[in-house]
Amino acid sequence: MSDPFSINGGSAVAMVGKDCIAIASDLRLGNQSLGVSNNFEKIFGFGDKCFLGLTGLATDVLTLKETFRFKTNLYKLREERSIEPETLANLVSSTLYERRFGPYFVSPIVAGLGHKDNKPFICGFDSIGCIDFAKDFIVSGTASDQLYGMCESLYEPDLEPEQLFETISQALLNAVDRDALSGWGAVVYIVTKDKVVKRVLKTRQD
Amino acid sequence: MQTTVASEYSNEIHSVPIEHRFNPYSDNGGTVLGIAGEDFAVLAGDTRQVEGYSIQSRYEPKIFDVGDNIVMTANGFAADGVALIDKFRQQLKWYKFDNFGGKLEIKSAARYIQHLLYGKRFFPYYVSTLIAGLDEEGKGAVYSYDPVGSYEREQCRAGGAAASLIMPFLDNQVNFKNQFIPGTDGKEKKPLKYLTLEEVIELVRDAFSSATERHIYVGDGLEIKIVTKDGVRTEYYPLKRD
Amino acid sequence: MNHDPFQWGRPSNETYGAYNHQIANAGVPDNTTHASLDAFPKMHTQQPIITGTSVIASKFNNGIIMAADNVGSYGSLLRFSNIERLIKVGSETVVGLSGDVSDMQQIERILDELETSEEVYDNDGGDYLRAANVHEYLSRVMYNRRSKMNPLWNSIIVGGFYRDRTPFLKYVDLVGVTYSSSTIATGFGSHLAIPLLRNLIPEDKDYVKVDEQQITKVVEDSMRVLFYRDARSGDKYSQVIIKLDEEGKVVFEFTKEVKVENQSWRFAKDIRGYGSSQQ
Repeated sequence: MSDPFSINGGSAVAMVGKDCIAIASDLRLGNQSLGVSNNFEKIFGFGDKCFLGLTGLATDVLTLKETFRFKTNLYKLREERSIEPETLANLVSSTLYERRFGPYFVSPIVAGLGHKDNKPFICGFDSIGCIDFAKDFIVSGTASDQLYGMCESLYEPDLEPEQLFETISQALLNAVDRDALSGWGAVVYIVTKDKVVKRVLKTRQD
Repeated sequence: MQTTVASEYSNEIHSVPIEHRFNPYSDNGGTVLGIAGEDFAVLAGDTRQVEGYSIQSRYEPKIFDVGDNIVMTANGFAADGVALIDKFRQQLKWYKFDNFGGKLEIKSAARYIQHLLYGKRFFPYYVSTLIAGLDEEGKGAVYSYDPVGSYEREQCRAGGAAASLIMPFLDNQVNFKNQFIPGTDGKEKKPLKYLTLEEVIELVRDAFSSATERHIYVGDGLEIKIVTKDGVRTEYYPLKRD
Repeated sequence: MNHDPFQWGRPSNETYGAYNHQIANAGVPDNTTHASLDAFPKMHTQQPIITGTSVIASKFNNGIIMAADNVGSYGSLLRFSNIERLIKVGSETVVGLSGDVSDMQQIERILDELETSEEVYDNDGGDYLRAANVHEYLSRVMYNRRSKMNPLWNSIIVGGFYRDRTPFLKYVDLVGVTYSSSTIATGFGSHLAIPLLRNLIPEDKDYVKVDEQQITKVVEDSMRVLFYRDARSGDKYSQVIIKLDEEGKVVFEFTKEVKVENQSWRFAKDIRGYGSSQQ
């Protein structure tokens, strides 16, 4: 249990729907089995329709969140537009690979809509930046096994935003309830072409 | 006095010899699941047996009808699984000799299996054990065990390699966990109800095709044993073989 | 020469000074006595010594086939080239063994004893020692030995017939794990031969579509592939075919000293340093 990926706990998941995406995470921060915070969000926005989920070692989660805020701000100054999800994915990948032999202990996921064409995009990474492009869903964190089981059985393609919200919420909630290191609240972002809805879910508190 | 010259490998020398011990266990993969209904119970398992990355057999059944309308499985280390089930079968035979052929109730079978498992507390059977059948009232019953005999009666349970993938799905679809009545603001839970056999079979098939998709130790075939008051029936469905 | 076994193979103290066991980690120190050794736990077989490599086997429409080469390796040394690893048990069963050869010979003695007690004395009603019985017995022996932390270091395939004359093929290994399949191979065979055999018999039930000639050809190919790529294998092997003749009687065909034929080493000339040519 000195595995850096599971000291603090936490899980995240992203899904593609019809012209929309959803990305969600739990809110727990722990020190091994001791719960420390129930307000530790693991989803971060960069631009208005592009999101990054970071699970793993909390200190690296915070460091990388700031690193990407810095990098995406510079990008916006230079390009005079927000970063595209595909571009963010490659930025994450190269940033992680820079630390190939002393990695950040995180498993990031990216989800968003293209700024012009509103094309849904999701992907996941390992801790050294290998990108996993998926058409359906991406999971990460200490409840990833449980999330795989839930998503593989609940997911169907081309869901409308409200149905997608229900699916991702049920997948996340039931998965984290079977993981001692995840839970303590959850947050879901539903992203459609003209708005982003953030919902904080009522969950078990054990 | 030290006179022998230290070799350049002296930093590799250990104070104790490297231990290379015989490992009496192996992991033969596979996953199992049991669900209890109102007047039936099912036990399901895939039929793949593995060792490392090799598939040893695509059809090696691991759910057994052990008699007295009880089905049993012990998933994990295959040799221990077979040994445990054989031992239980043999004890059941002796029980019948001693009790004029009387039926062994599932709760007694359950307690007895605890003793079989705990009997090897310090050299455990490396298995997740499940039994299923009908209780004294004719209601479906599933009992599940840890390797050393801690047990519990439950409505449903997944065991083995893909247990972590299947169990939350069962919480959600069998016990309706995290499901609420719309419009009640999450204050009123969706009421529990017994699932029909058809619904249960569909859940089991979905659970196994999902587990097969994401777990390399699961696949090839799905064998389900169904216990009703009329006896034990077997169904088989193919799974992906990759 | 000092005949004390604890002194064997040591540089002499007169020439090189006292031996420093701390540095060389060379096992028991000088002051060890046989009595002090008794304080150690009893040692069991913890590793194989002389080993036999793969056994391959398959069912076909009216019987089973099994093959194993005749090499006995001592680590990477080809120590023996005349080891017979297929043994006939009773009248219609063959047992193929890979792994430790001394343990194999112990199993031979156990099976001999089984045959003596079951085949000769307790023979009744046409119900004699069959493959399923031999396999069950062997699996109990293997599992009991592993449970005593004193395993017989082998992987075993048992082939023959069920009572209803359908082919029987089943495996058991040093930890007592068993399984049946239409195609089984041990060791390297499970990586190199199984794909060839399953190519002919994709699903377990398909063995009924395969005849003796087809399967013999694939076993021949498999033994050649194993000879090419398994460094512990040999080019001489034994083959057993157990089948039913037209009247439904069991025919036990034991072929010894089969050679791996039709080898092709043409690829070698294109690889620098592989053949004898200097480039």
